[in-house]
Amino acid sequence: MEAVEVHAVEAHGVTKSFGAVRAVDGLGLRLDRGRTVALLGPNGAGKSTLISMILGLRTPDTGTVRVLGGSPERAVRAGRVGAMPQTGRLIGGVTVRELVGFVQRAHASVARGPMPSTAELMDIARISDLAGRRADGLSGGQAQRVRFALAVAGAPDLIVLDEPTAALDIESRHELWVAIRACAERGATVLFSTHYLEEADAEADRIVVVDRGRVVADGTSDEIKRRVPGRTVSVDASVLPDPSGLPGVLSSEVDGRRVRLHTTDADATVLALAAAGAVRDLEVTGASLEQAFLTLTHSAPAGTETPEAVR
Amino acid sequence: MMLVHYVRLELLRLLRDPGYLIMTLVSPLTMYLVFSNLDLGGSASADGALYSMVGMAGFGAIGAVMTSGVSISEDKPLGWIRQLRLLPLAPSQVVVGRALCAMAAALPPIVAVCLAGGLVNDVTLSPGRWLAVFALLWLGIAPLAVLGVGFGYLLTAQKAQMAGLAVYMGLSLLGGLWFPIGKMPSWLASVSRLTPVNRYGELSWSVAGGHAPTLVGTLVLAAWAAAFTVFAVVGYRRSAQTV
Repeated sequence: MEAVEVHAVEAHGVTKSFGAVRAVDGLGLRLDRGRTVALLGPNGAGKSTLISMILGLRTPDTGTVRVLGGSPERAVRAGRVGAMPQTGRLIGGVTVRELVGFVQRAHASVARGPMPSTAELMDIARISDLAGRRADGLSGGQAQRVRFALAVAGAPDLIVLDEPTAALDIESRHELWVAIRACAERGATVLFSTHYLEEADAEADRIVVVDRGRVVADGTSDEIKRRVPGRTVSVDASVLPDPSGLPGVLSSEVDGRRVRLHTTDADATVLALAAAGAVRDLEVTGASLEQAFLTLTHSAPAGTETPEAVR
Repeated sequence: MMLVHYVRLELLRLLRDPGYLIMTLVSPLTMYLVFSNLDLGGSASADGALYSMVGMAGFGAIGAVMTSGVSISEDKPLGWIRQLRLLPLAPSQVVVGRALCAMAAALPPIVAVCLAGGLVNDVTLSPGRWLAVFALLWLGIAPLAVLGVGFGYLLTAQKAQMAGLAVYMGLSLLGGLWFPIGKMPSWLASVSRLTPVNRYGELSWSVAGGHAPTLVGTLVLAAWAAAFTVFAVVGYRRSAQTV
């Protein structure tokens, strides 16, 4: 046990503006070590800006960011942070083995303990079969696994992954997550941002929802879902032409042949539907993470009528 | 130690792009052979062949280090600079490593022009002076290599190319690599003596003529080297700001 508990990431009152745009706006965050944390938020919420400050690539306008008890730059220089930025391709002119080997040696030069060898790294990232291939000639999924190998080459205490699975097919996503989980099991703190809610739901111990540069929710998946009151009652649209006036219903939307009622009192809503004879294919569901996310970030789902915000 | 690994990786990339190495050879070598045989320098003497040998080798070296800068700017959109920023490497190590690669790229034109001088144009020097001329042509390019690296970090590929071309052509001409600054108006010659390119050429012209490099010349070059190093390190730190 360490005498002083050192957080993996500690941010206080962090602000960062680009011109007139305030990308991060008084954000505070504290991540315990050894957990897997999802950073969730709509486009432009400030996730990537926050990550760039955690990695020491940018400095906050105000506030402080500390990583593993020191400045981000110091943690990076000590090889304690591994990162996979959102964009980026692999350079040409080198093979996968040469590239991974270089990054591995860069970390080995500041080794704090046992380091994975190049062969072990390629095994962890499931790229052993690509060793002799040119790094710039790989498919998206293969390249992303190589980038992951580069991120974990120093056996980092903190792994930061900015949308690691964006633009990957399902199989590649799965393979990458097998590798990420293996690192998390060895005790590394994993911070990843994602657009895939099911990914946050399935992989993260904790979800931090960011919107407009602030943390709007922070907890386990279940806790976040509970933050959204109410249920969704849905019935066949043909039996309910006009959903207005039903008790408890805050908003409604028509999705194909279904009408969905967001209600704070499912019992009363269902009884009223029954009284009106409007029960066909009735379904009552709790809030999904997606609904919670949409509610918390006030962003509209694509392709549906925008309901009044459920608060 | 880490520097060695980094230089090795970047050299590997350089060597696997032979087109790049060949391109840096063609223009200085052609120009040297044409210039020295057309005798634009005004005297058909061995001095003229020696003068333009140093000048064109230096010219080729400048072209090579500037081209190297452009290849850095081409790495930026790939995220490679940022990847390096996220490794336990000091910014100065990366800048120095990349400058060493640029200097390595400058070797072929220096070797080629010196060979042409000795074999085709009958430049005769004692082995010791050959060695000194060659060594100073190579080591003296360091400040300009760092400048090219700085262009690469700070500018887009297109702008780095333009900046590199301005130095390559403009400063080579102004610095007296094409013809001696003695043929310039005196005010222009004074300006020329302030340029790193003129002082770079002067190193080798001095030792070829049996003199030690001048103290003033070395100091001017050192001052430029310091300024370019700051420029390149700032450029490197800036270029990696986005995620």
